[in-house]
Amino acid sequence: MNRKLFVASAAALLAGCDSTKNALNENQGVKDVLHLAQAWNHAAIGTHGMAKLYAESDIDRNYPTNGDPTPTDPEYQGLVKERFRSYKLAVSGLVERPQTFDLARLRTLASLTQITRHDCVEGWSVVGKWTGIPLHAFLSLVRPKPEARYVVFYSFDRDENLQQFYGSIDVRQAAHPQTMLALDLNGAPVDPDHGGPVRLRIPTQLAYKSTKWVQRIELVDSFKRIYGGHGGYWEDQGYEWYAGI
Amino acid sequence: MKRHSVVVRLTHWFGALALILLVMSGFAIFNAAPYLDASDYSNPAHRVLAMGSIDGPNGSHIGVVDVFGHRIRTTHLLGYTDDGQGGEATRGFPGWITWPAYQDLAGARVWHFFFGWIMVLAGTIYLVFGSFRKELALLIVRPSDFPKMWPMQAYYLRLRKDPPPHGKYNPLQKAGYTVVIFVLAPFVVVTGLALSPGVDAFAGPLTTLLGGRQFARTWHFAATIALVIFTLGHVFLVASTGVINNMRSMTLGTYRLGKNEGTGE
Repeated sequence: MNRKLFVASAAALLAGCDSTKNALNENQGVKDVLHLAQAWNHAAIGTHGMAKLYAESDIDRNYPTNGDPTPTDPEYQGLVKERFRSYKLAVSGLVERPQTFDLARLRTLASLTQITRHDCVEGWSVVGKWTGIPLHAFLSLVRPKPEARYVVFYSFDRDENLQQFYGSIDVRQAAHPQTMLALDLNGAPVDPDHGGPVRLRIPTQLAYKSTKWVQRIELVDSFKRIYGGHGGYWEDQGYEWYAGI
Repeated sequence: MKRHSVVVRLTHWFGALALILLVMSGFAIFNAAPYLDASDYSNPAHRVLAMGSIDGPNGSHIGVVDVFGHRIRTTHLLGYTDDGQGGEATRGFPGWITWPAYQDLAGARVWHFFFGWIMVLAGTIYLVFGSFRKELALLIVRPSDFPKMWPMQAYYLRLRKDPPPHGKYNPLQKAGYTVVIFVLAPFVVVTGLALSPGVDAFAGPLTTLLGGRQFARTWHFAATIALVIFTLGHVFLVASTGVINNMRSMTLGTYRLGKNEGTGE
């Protein structure tokens, strides 16, 4: 196996052979080794400091969207039609007070407005003004149990294979003062294309961690048993769980 | 005679492998947003480079590169190029030079970060070991090297029969290696980190110093191109100044001295 890999690597380097490069990219053993760097990145960079704050004049009114536009999920479409009047955000899992929040209650909790930069993994970035609930303040209402290690966000959105979008962050990232459940973008309720009525905003990591169209939240001690087991939809597609880089 | 220690030879080849994979996976990452801005956040008004395609006659595609506002047609080379799976598509760099060949941002990032660590590790071992063994001192350029630079260049251009007397490295080698090892390579690492949101959060002044997040990405790209040009020149000189002697010195370690070549500074 190792000799085969070595020969394949040498061939790829010498001949620039596309199929060999692509095969190495898909080899599970190679992937497992390469993914070690994620833990090194997490240890070296981690969750420290505060994302830069911007001025009103930096705001881009044409905030781009990426990935899916408005979800076609029937439940979500029904909520859009009645302007999210019956939307309820359920919090469950390793919490002492599992409960649901309607939009009116969530709005009374919104206390944070910050103009931050959204860094897409593709390489572009955009500045927007977000208003919402600091996640640490929100979680204090449901009282996470000591064994809770990750906060999982399930989205209304599904891909073409009907796989649900979801994402997760650790309690350290959840406690970061700039991590928020966003309700408003640039002074108006977050529209359906940008993840409304409730989306996550994590300005200290790449934006694929900021789950859109949050349907429910679950606190867990491990995400290994959730869907692909990598802690998120994008992570199950091969992106790193730690997205500070 | 013995020229390169085993640590120098090992770190050189690990670094070479890492450099190839970093550049190729870097081009694949660039392809996900094939444009560069000289600004903090994306701003088309400050775009210095963009690759893409425009419609040609009869439904064909023309690859174009816009660099500092000048449009260059680059079909098959950049902008509209081989997609790494036998076809052609609108993409920045062609599949033959990206890693992987087809467009896979997640995969390319994983290769990039792993070999980024390999490169930093190899570079650190080389620097620490080289300082400890005082080998590094032999290739740092000094004021006394400057008067010898033109005679050395004249020798390379065959305007002079023999090189000026010099130590283990000639004055032009010293200048090149000093810039690459102490300026260019650290700059590539720093700019790569500075464009990351997690680093910007605790090292904000660094990102600001570079002109912002998108500007850091632009610097990272520009420094990479400079490193690629250096490496191509390096390989050309290895090949044209006694390829067997040079390759033996970096593999087996032994080297036959040429005229006016020494072993010291």
